[in-house]
Amino acid sequence: MSPYTKYNEQELVALLLQQNDQAFSYLYDNYSPALFGIINQIVSDKETASDVLQDVFINIWRKIGSYDDSKGRLFTWMLNIARNAAIDKIRSRPYQDNLKNQPLTENVNSKSANPVVNPQINDVGLKKLIHKLKEEYRILIDMSYFQGFTHEEIAKLLNIPLGTVKTRIRSALIQLRTLI
Amino acid sequence: MNIQEYISSGIIESYVLGLASAEERIEFEQMCSEYPELVEARNNFELALEEQARRNASPPPSKVKEKIWSVIRQFSNTPKIINMEPTTRRSSGSRWVAAASIILFLIAGYFAFTLYNRNKKLEDSNKVLEARANRTDSLLNRITEEQKTINNPNVTVVNMVGTQKASPSSASIYWDSTSTNVYLVVKNMPKLPSDKQYQLWALIDGKPWDLGLFDAQENNVILKMKNTQKADAFAITIENRGNTGGPTLEKLQSMGKAKL
Repeated sequence: MSPYTKYNEQELVALLLQQNDQAFSYLYDNYSPALFGIINQIVSDKETASDVLQDVFINIWRKIGSYDDSKGRLFTWMLNIARNAAIDKIRSRPYQDNLKNQPLTENVNSKSANPVVNPQINDVGLKKLIHKLKEEYRILIDMSYFQGFTHEEIAKLLNIPLGTVKTRIRSALIQLRTLI
Repeated sequence: MNIQEYISSGIIESYVLGLASAEERIEFEQMCSEYPELVEARNNFELALEEQARRNASPPPSKVKEKIWSVIRQFSNTPKIINMEPTTRRSSGSRWVAAASIILFLIAGYFAFTLYNRNKKLEDSNKVLEARANRTDSLLNRITEEQKTINNPNVTVVNMVGTQKASPSSASIYWDSTSTNVYLVVKNMPKLPSDKQYQLWALIDGKPWDLGLFDAQENNVILKMKNTQKADAFAITIENRGNTGGPTLEKLQSMGKAKL
């Protein structure tokens, strides 16, 4: 049990299913900093990241009934909601249009040698860890995990065989495991 | 691939981080239900990932929480109603289930009713057919009996001829002189009032011997009468029902000579 815990996960989920205000407040206080950290690694702009966080918690409130504890921990479930919401945001039309209006130097992404957009804000957490990976692994994790490209899209964009993409991502994950 | 190889293949990380394909996820969940050690390894990675995320946490702006609450409150106006929401949602679910089960029940009922009716109809027509078959069987038996009697070389056939009093009356006597059996086949004899019956007589040396009373309800029916060893002739009279006395010769209907 981490020192943050007041409810255990089971109690918390049970109360959230009853749409208990206190439990939801606790959930937010306990998990929002960690989730906001992840969102920030994907969405560089703090304002936009706040919007994403808001959507994420509203979704958690509404979709708690679809959480299945046999498939993983509550945090993992919320983490994936946060990651997907953040990726949806950076892929959305308004966000893309906004990026185009920014100075070119900031609009650097995966196709360049260094995929990190804004090291001051983003180079923390998992994203920092992947710098310890081999270059050929780092770009694959960045594109798949932080930008949400499918294996097929990565194979096409980087012009490497799909099988190679798959095996390299697996190898990268095994290596990442030792770093976490 | 053994389970340890599977655990260290990167699938756990791939699954937990949401990078696994749909097939990989299904396979992984299946494997988890079979191998507790896989679940344990998954749980360990999840905990490590959560710890890692907490170490790199970044407090969101304080206004975000208020905004979230205001949106959630919009789902309904008062906290009380918010608390009611899961029950109403669940009950709307159960209402669908209820509606679906009523529909199913009605459909099942309809089929049961139809089947019951069909079954009843079949049973009825079966009874009709059975009765018909029984009638046919007994008729066939009679005909077979008659045929046997007629074709037996020991049988003497005596055609009874109607008297003037009863000209349409006619019958045949089949007399088996070896077994002494007497059969009577009614061919065309008028129906009698319910208190009257026909009676067959054998005339032996001019004396009448009772061979039995009978009703001539149906034509072409073979009737087994009393046996007799001798007979010069046969006669049929009309008598009171259950007659025990002698023949009423004025009511002689038909007569026939036995050719010996």
